[in-house]
Amino acid sequence: MNSALRRARNRQMIIFLLISSGMLVLLSRLYYWQVLQSHSGYNLAQQANQEHTQDIPLDALRGLIYDSQGHILATDVVRDDVYVEPHQFAVDHPANAQGDLNNLILALHQALPQVSIANLQGDFQKDAGAIRVAVRVDPGQSLTLRAMRLSDVFLYPRTWRIYPAGTLASQIMGYVMQSDTESKGVYGLEGQYNHLLSGQPGRSMVETDLQGNPLTVGVDDQQAPVNGTNLTLTIDSNVEYMVESNLARQVQEMQAQSGAVVVLNAKTGAVVAMAGYPTYDPNEYGRAYAATGCLHTEQVYFNPALFCAYEPGSTMKAVTMAAALDQGLITPDVTLQDRGCISYSDAPVVCNWQNMVYDTESMTQVLIHSANVGASYVAHDILGVDRYYPYLTRFGFGQLTGLDDGPEATGFYRQPCQNGWSPCSQNWTMSDLTRQAFGQSIVATPLQMAMVYQTIANDGVMMQPYLVASTSDNGKVIVTQPIVKRRVISQHAAQLLTQMLTQVAVHGAANTAQVPGYSTALKTGTATTQGISTTQTEASVAGFIPASNPQFVILVKLDRPQRDIYGSTAAAPLWGTIAQQLMWDYAIPPDLAE
Amino acid sequence: MNQQKTPLRGVQQRRARGSSEQAWLARGRRRFPHLFSRIGPVTLTVCSVLLMSLMAILYLYQQGQAVTTNQQVQALRNRQAALQRQNADLVNQIATEQSPGYVAAFAIRMGLVPANAQRVQVTNNP
Repeated sequence: MNSALRRARNRQMIIFLLISSGMLVLLSRLYYWQVLQSHSGYNLAQQANQEHTQDIPLDALRGLIYDSQGHILATDVVRDDVYVEPHQFAVDHPANAQGDLNNLILALHQALPQVSIANLQGDFQKDAGAIRVAVRVDPGQSLTLRAMRLSDVFLYPRTWRIYPAGTLASQIMGYVMQSDTESKGVYGLEGQYNHLLSGQPGRSMVETDLQGNPLTVGVDDQQAPVNGTNLTLTIDSNVEYMVESNLARQVQEMQAQSGAVVVLNAKTGAVVAMAGYPTYDPNEYGRAYAATGCLHTEQVYFNPALFCAYEPGSTMKAVTMAAALDQGLITPDVTLQDRGCISYSDAPVVCNWQNMVYDTESMTQVLIHSANVGASYVAHDILGVDRYYPYLTRFGFGQLTGLDDGPEATGFYRQPCQNGWSPCSQNWTMSDLTRQAFGQSIVATPLQMAMVYQTIANDGVMMQPYLVASTSDNGKVIVTQPIVKRRVISQHAAQLLTQMLTQVAVHGAANTAQVPGYSTALKTGTATTQGISTTQTEASVAGFIPASNPQFVILVKLDRPQRDIYGSTAAAPLWGTIAQQLMWDYAIPPDLAE
Repeated sequence: MNQQKTPLRGVQQRRARGSSEQAWLARGRRRFPHLFSRIGPVTLTVCSVLLMSLMAILYLYQQGQAVTTNQQVQALRNRQAALQRQNADLVNQIATEQSPGYVAAFAIRMGLVPANAQRVQVTNNP
């Protein structure tokens, strides 16, 4: 081999080695970026995926809430938030930034008059990528802004809970507290059923273009959202509205501080209407933050029918009579001597209202006269401790009713520590017994008292009260069946007591509660509170209609009425109005001859 | 007899067919180098460029179709969202106008007044 050929081969070898070395370097670098840095270190694969794939959350629609007639009480709408992009604006308008900014701000202000020019100028001065300048703008404003196609301004749609009927049944419904990150039902049904109403959000992992629009090709990993369960309530909107508007009128006329009404289906325990006053609009719940109800003891968001416990007063006498009738210890015609006051060796004297003397009076007349003496006599001398307190437990005092509508109060009463009774009070005295007989020294919620009268109306059987008639979970419908809670008193005792309460409606003071053509069974109550003036009362009426075939139980309570302080004059007219309207609305035939 | 002759005939046929296939392949091998040797480098380059251009056009056409379809899908999604939004607004509007408060206010605007309970007669007709 000659030297020229050898040199040529050496050159070839050198070139080959150089190229090979270069290739080796390139391959090493390729290995470094593609393998070593792909899933560790810089994690390039993940960064690349983040560039062109998006994990888009898919909101589940919150379940709708219907009334018993199929009218929507709560639904969802989509409204836009308006954002501006100060950083991007500076990039997009390097030449005439101030002039363009003034034009943009002016255009934005014309579309959104609620946002001031000063605020917009301040927002554009901020060092931020995107700033929200308006929340939940009107649909018309959204359309205007979309048509204007303003640069560096974008709309972001969000779902909002809406209550089309405004304040109607707001204390039953509760509301949805909405923040940027979550929506959560609070108070009422929205809170109680939040887990069902909210559904399950989904997600979609998609490849996107530069503008962030999902592409039909490439990765598409989608988990569909599961919409929330729809609820159908036992509430009748028309009755609810009638009850609420009449309650508001009566509270204002009587110059009361607050009030509550409960209307139940006497046979099933379904809540037909439940109203409180004052109330609030769940569409603007923030405005009611400082408002209070229930004698200014609770925020207005709480349902007073469940939370505003009170001394029931003379409406409690029906419980005392029920206990005695059920045990066969009295009949409606058994008499006592009522001297206006009654003395006990182990308890303070009990007197009638204004020490009224009724002489010989039957048990029916005790209820007609609303005589404290007769009621305490039955509790103390006829029933006694052992035969009285078990009936308070059976009627549900001091216990939750279990209504499916969020938090409720249990009420309270003192009972002696004997027979394993719980809870009991070491401070209990016989004075508690003699006063509980006519509704003092015991506090109960309006719903608890309504359930007492539902029991009497339903032949002694207490039903489980309920608000949700059915749920519809994406086609799977579950209908609530009425549930018997327990038998409290015998059918015979319930019927005797119904006759006695019917006599109260006819001969008692609450003649304004009578409904022409219909028999009613009811009892009024005027409770005073120890330590304050006797003119500061809780005026109430509880009863059912028609007495011959009870359909509805109605309880009306006014807190501290000033114009008329008695149950028979302040609350009874409202009871009569509601009862009359119910008979018309449900076309219930009259049961009394003309 | 026939059963013994048949396999022999089959073997002969296969051998005959095999020899003809080999001959055809040999002819093919001779023919293809001959064909390629007659295509010049320019022709080959032009054909290659044309082929690659065709493939590129097909690819671009496919991409164009994908983009167009994507835009249509995106437009349909936007339309769907707008319709869902409109539907929610209409449901809300219907619910508002069916609410008792709205109906009562409308009735009052029309001049209606609440019925006087004392003047209403309810008859118990079967």
